[in-house]
Amino acid sequence: MDYAIQQMVNALSFGAEYALLALGLAIVFSVMGLVNFAHGDVIAVGGYTMVAFAAIVTANPWIVILGAIVAAALTSVLLERVAFRPVRYADPTTGLLTAFGVSIVLQNLFLLFVSPRPIAVTSLYFMDVPIEMFGVQVSSLQLLESVTTVLVIVGLTLFLNRSVWGLAMRAASLDFEMVRLMGIRANRVFALAFLISGLLAGLACIFIMARRGSVDPHLGFNPVLKAFVACVVGGFGSLPGAVLGGFLLGAVEVGMLVLLPQEYGGMKDAFVFGIIALILVWRPNGILSPAVEKGDKL
Amino acid sequence: MTLARHQKRGLIGAALLSLILIAIGVLAAWFGSRYQLRLVYGAYVNLLVVLGLQVFMGNARVTNLSHSAFMGIGAYAAAICVTPAATKAISLPDAPWGLAAFTLDPLTSAIIAIVITAAIAALVGLFIVRMTAIGATIASLAVLVIIHSIFLFRTDIFKGNQAFFGIPQVFSLTSIVVLSVVVVLIARGFRESHWGIQLRASADDETGAAAMGVNVVRLRLVAWVLSGIILALAGIAYAYYLGTISARPFYFNHVFLTLAMLILGGMRTVTGAVLGTFLISFGLEVVRWLETGPVVAGVDLPEALGLSGVVLGLVIVLTMTLRPQGVMGDREIEDIILRR
Repeated sequence: MDYAIQQMVNALSFGAEYALLALGLAIVFSVMGLVNFAHGDVIAVGGYTMVAFAAIVTANPWIVILGAIVAAALTSVLLERVAFRPVRYADPTTGLLTAFGVSIVLQNLFLLFVSPRPIAVTSLYFMDVPIEMFGVQVSSLQLLESVTTVLVIVGLTLFLNRSVWGLAMRAASLDFEMVRLMGIRANRVFALAFLISGLLAGLACIFIMARRGSVDPHLGFNPVLKAFVACVVGGFGSLPGAVLGGFLLGAVEVGMLVLLPQEYGGMKDAFVFGIIALILVWRPNGILSPAVEKGDKL
Repeated sequence: MTLARHQKRGLIGAALLSLILIAIGVLAAWFGSRYQLRLVYGAYVNLLVVLGLQVFMGNARVTNLSHSAFMGIGAYAAAICVTPAATKAISLPDAPWGLAAFTLDPLTSAIIAIVITAAIAALVGLFIVRMTAIGATIASLAVLVIIHSIFLFRTDIFKGNQAFFGIPQVFSLTSIVVLSVVVVLIARGFRESHWGIQLRASADDETGAAAMGVNVVRLRLVAWVLSGIILALAGIAYAYYLGTISARPFYFNHVFLTLAMLILGGMRTVTGAVLGTFLISFGLEVVRWLETGPVVAGVDLPEALGLSGVVLGLVIVLTMTLRPQGVMGDREIEDIILRR
């Protein structure tokens, strides 16, 4: 019984991380229709900022964390300004390939100017201590991660439903022209979407770094691949879908770890993606995909 | 069989492209050193990959990121069949299902590799073609990761990141030039066939095309499998020349290299695929030389690992920003030379 609860806690914390990442992708996609391949590299920017802060400024973990979040948010907004503004109204494929290119450029810039090898970051080790709750061993990191994700979901829901800009962003995902006619500035809506996405990337960066303890140029690839899959399963562009997809993916992944024999450990991802593919056969557009009238898109 | 006007023009275009391909091959064979010949051969292999990619991406306009994995399947399948049993007894001592116990001739091996790749492509395609554009792209990314992890995991069959050696070298520059001419004809033929036209129409307006009776899902599947077959050919050509393969070249770096080629040239046309391949293949050699930190005009440049990646990424971003249809746009080579 304890073992089952333990694994359920694991599934929830994995799911929380994927949901956090998937939300960062979904918020940009819902407003702009852009599949942001560079999201993982924004996370890597956060990681490298941690290295720089810890080496140059201070080892105080809170300042390092704050620095990483701010750097990720700024990078995200900067990318919107520099790379994604020209393709703002282009079709999704153009946006997707642009983001793909941006991601390659960023990864190789890390390679070129920092190092191809992993760099250790030790200032976040304090976050990962085992604690016992109701007779179950959990890591404080898992707990922090789940709580953060819940707070983010609550915060985003309040923001999107209760504030003018939140309303504008939800409206923008339905009919952008109409939002502009209501006197909302397009640039600000996009910048805001990328700012939120960057903040989420910064938060995710902290947990990823606390778990891995090092940063390398390809840090963001695996997490973001999972986040993509979560978004596709949940329905691309749907925020509840992103959360659902994230938790579903976490559950499937832990289920695979439990069920697969040890020697098949290397095949975990293959099995996980295989199961996801079966879900997509059932709902090719994802579980909670927003209804699209194909005839209207002209 | 009578050909429509655009099909005759397509034939002229394919002939022109073939002449260019043969000319490049002949020039390389005359003037190239051994090392340069290898580079040119590599460019032709990438050309086959890009053409395979164009058949699906250019006509259905759904971005595919799994193509290098299918090239890998073709390469490994052919390699396992054609490598002499004596070599396999050393290199694959634990191979299951008696894979190490037989040897086939190169042609049979190639046919088996194509059939296997086509079958796997058809199976994967059943999932991919039903999804919407973005979903299909992400799913193809997942396919790439799955196939790569299988290559890495089953070291008893594929040897993972270690070299799979002992493949007889049956291909030369001549054979790949001939092969690329054939594939250009196939790709151009598909584009101008009624399937190709219907598929391109469905990419412009899916609902409209479906209303006119186009079976979009089935046509996408046809293009996907044809693309898989061409990718298998590329893999076979790769294995038959190098004699040694490993899982690493069939992963991410190769995916974005070939994608950049297709995007730069223009994914909508076969001419664009050819142009982009050669522009980037030869342009990248210059960048690679800069990467090693040479001395240019008396200035000792620093070593710059990663420069070629930055350049490739910038090529993709700038093409998408300035000219999303690529250099060629909707024009094939004969549209530039002949009157409309």
